Amino acid sequence: MSEPRRIEIELSTAEGSHRVRLLGLPRETLRRLGVLGERELARELPVYPRERLDDATPGFAPMAGRYEAGPDAVTFVPRYPLVPGLCYAMVVRTGEGEPQRLAFRLPLAPSEPTARVLAIYPSGDRLVRNQLKLYVEFSASMSEGQAARHVRLERADSGEPIEDPFVPEPELWDRDRRRLTLLFDPGRLKRGLRPQLEAGYPLQEGVAVRLVIDKGFRDADGNPLREPFERRYEVGGDLRARVDPRDWEFRPPAAGTAEPLVVRFDRPLDHALLQHALEVTDDEGHPLRGQSEVGPAERSWTFTPAAPWPPGKYRLAIDPRLEDLAGNSLARLFDRDLERDEAPSNPSRESISFAL
Amino acid sequence: MSEQATAVRYGDLGLAVGTPEIKSVGPIAFGPDGILFVADNASAAIFALGLGPAGPRPDSLAYDIEDLDARLASRLGCSRGDVSIRDIAVCPLTKEVYLSVMRGNGSGAIPVIARVEADGQVVDVPLEGVPFASTTIEDAPDPGDERIDTLVLPDDSAEGEEFKTGSGIRLRLLRDGLRTVTVTDLDYVDGVLLVAGASNEEFSSTLRRIPFPFNGAAQSNSLEIFHVSHGQYETASPIRTFVPYNGGGSILASYTCTPIVQFSLSELEPATHVMGSTVAELGSMNSPTDMVAYRRDGEEYLLVSTARLPLVRIACADIDGQEALTEPDEPVGVPREALDHPGVVRMANLDEGSVVMLQQDGAGPVSLRSYECASL
Repeated sequence: MSEPRRIEIELSTAEGSHRVRLLGLPRETLRRLGVLGERELARELPVYPRERLDDATPGFAPMAGRYEAGPDAVTFVPRYPLVPGLCYAMVVRTGEGEPQRLAFRLPLAPSEPTARVLAIYPSGDRLVRNQLKLYVEFSASMSEGQAARHVRLERADSGEPIEDPFVPEPELWDRDRRRLTLLFDPGRLKRGLRPQLEAGYPLQEGVAVRLVIDKGFRDADGNPLREPFERRYEVGGDLRARVDPRDWEFRPPAAGTAEPLVVRFDRPLDHALLQHALEVTDDEGHPLRGQSEVGPAERSWTFTPAAPWPPGKYRLAIDPRLEDLAGNSLARLFDRDLERDEAPSNPSRESISFAL
Repeated sequence: MSEQATAVRYGDLGLAVGTPEIKSVGPIAFGPDGILFVADNASAAIFALGLGPAGPRPDSLAYDIEDLDARLASRLGCSRGDVSIRDIAVCPLTKEVYLSVMRGNGSGAIPVIARVEADGQVVDVPLEGVPFASTTIEDAPDPGDERIDTLVLPDDSAEGEEFKTGSGIRLRLLRDGLRTVTVTDLDYVDGVLLVAGASNEEFSSTLRRIPFPFNGAAQSNSLEIFHVSHGQYETASPIRTFVPYNGGGSILASYTCTPIVQFSLSELEPATHVMGSTVAELGSMNSPTDMVAYRRDGEEYLLVSTARLPLVRIACADIDGQEALTEPDEPVGVPREALDHPGVVRMANLDEGSVVMLQQDGAGPVSLRSYECASL
């Protein structure tokens, strides 16, 4: 008579999939299971996250995956990868008597926090009372769904939090999830709307604030930040005027040199939009090759050509969507007083011509 | 329809069998013939998935399912906290409830389309070897439009994506990965997919109209919709959620900043300055989450769910008779009634007689319940 064998779980990874092998089943059981279809195998050997098993709720579907019955073992290949650190259990109903539960888990890989906040924009030290957006730039790809819990705005003097300053969802990210856009609740910025009348502006003129990103903000691998980050801003008055390139200071370079073209703005402009809203072209509209750079506090922009400027006519093309800190653009005001302000213009491209 | 007839029909609608490379799932809506539209914000695309042929209709068209998120966690092999239900939609053919779900976070996040079976079991829908088509939701590439934030690459470049322009020219374009559009809601009306989205850069209110079947030659067009607060200030703002009503002729939209705005779909022409009529305001620090239209006793009604206020009911007849709001306090817009359905986060029409709701109290368990229109 042979010793009753102990059944056990062995975990491995093959071709990018986790494999949960059930070993030690009696030969006759393996033979019986070998002729069963996947549905029957799922019924006899269902796998659940352990915490769901403790719910003991009928009607919960076991984990999705496929089964392979071999001569030595039955293998479960989950459709979705096992979560490291989470406890799972296979319920073995093949024998007589009470089903056995075999628990298993993937070890949690030790990892060091590496992600950090690189910058917060505007990079100047002053916001306007009707500030529309802030941008947070991270050094690595981040997880979504973290901003509401791990970003706060508080008074710089007392540390008192400012309640619900930002729109909580949808979170707005760039494609790589490295730059987060924090949109101030527009209902509190738009004149005449009930949120504005009831709750007022999130910011107050003359009351400095601090934006804090705490360490708990998770990166794409689930790790916290290396360190918290904070940035203090003074708060000025309202900004309610269209962006008008005629108010910009424009310094053309000398022909034949590779000096940069320098444009100074009358006010800080939106950091993100400045990355692609300005373009230097020749007289026929073909873009010039070169390097552009946004200046300190987003108050200037320079374009250094790849080759010295040949004499000729040029244009600085401006995307009419370019906004200032309060969301006023070339095309329109953020909120327009129908009696006093002119109507939005058609969003065609504006340009400044210059000759060298 | 038979399986074969469905396959032929999907072919006619431009769907080809394959494995769609869906990176994320957000808002979903059903179109014709059991086609599910899925917004994928991570890849800036909308996928049309052919989920037919129609299965048998379940006997009972009622849902009362507790712990929907725990059921999903069980099936997907993760903890409840790793389940994020993004949207719900009901297949008009089978009346089954579909969910868009993200499993996990960050780089390990996996998009899932799940179906709720009549017995309360929740199963994931395989997305390999399914009929599908897709379209981009970023600015349609048009060589005549100078405002595109894209770079034209050499034809043999390995980077970027290939686009076909209206005149049949093929271009390889590298899109600016910093500037994105996040789809906040979508719906299908008479051959057109309506898509509301928010930019992570400029502040605007655009409603894209994408003809279906997707056709590279047919440009999608965008409508910018403004609203006036109290007869004095005009602004644009991203549309958070919207619902077609009046047979698809009218749209009720709610902005990120909470005014509820009505406009007529038939009046909308591309590149015009469209002015919506503000018919109600929801109040401060409160964002709308979903809307649904339904009929009761021959009258059409709308439900609006919000983050903090109770579920709100509005009669469509009142909207059509409502003057645009001119004063901030009085009147407060169309008459509305609060319903006592707590924690409603998403809604969909189950059939003509009932509405299904996803409900969650705070961080508690998520439930899926259907309610007869007569009770709403």
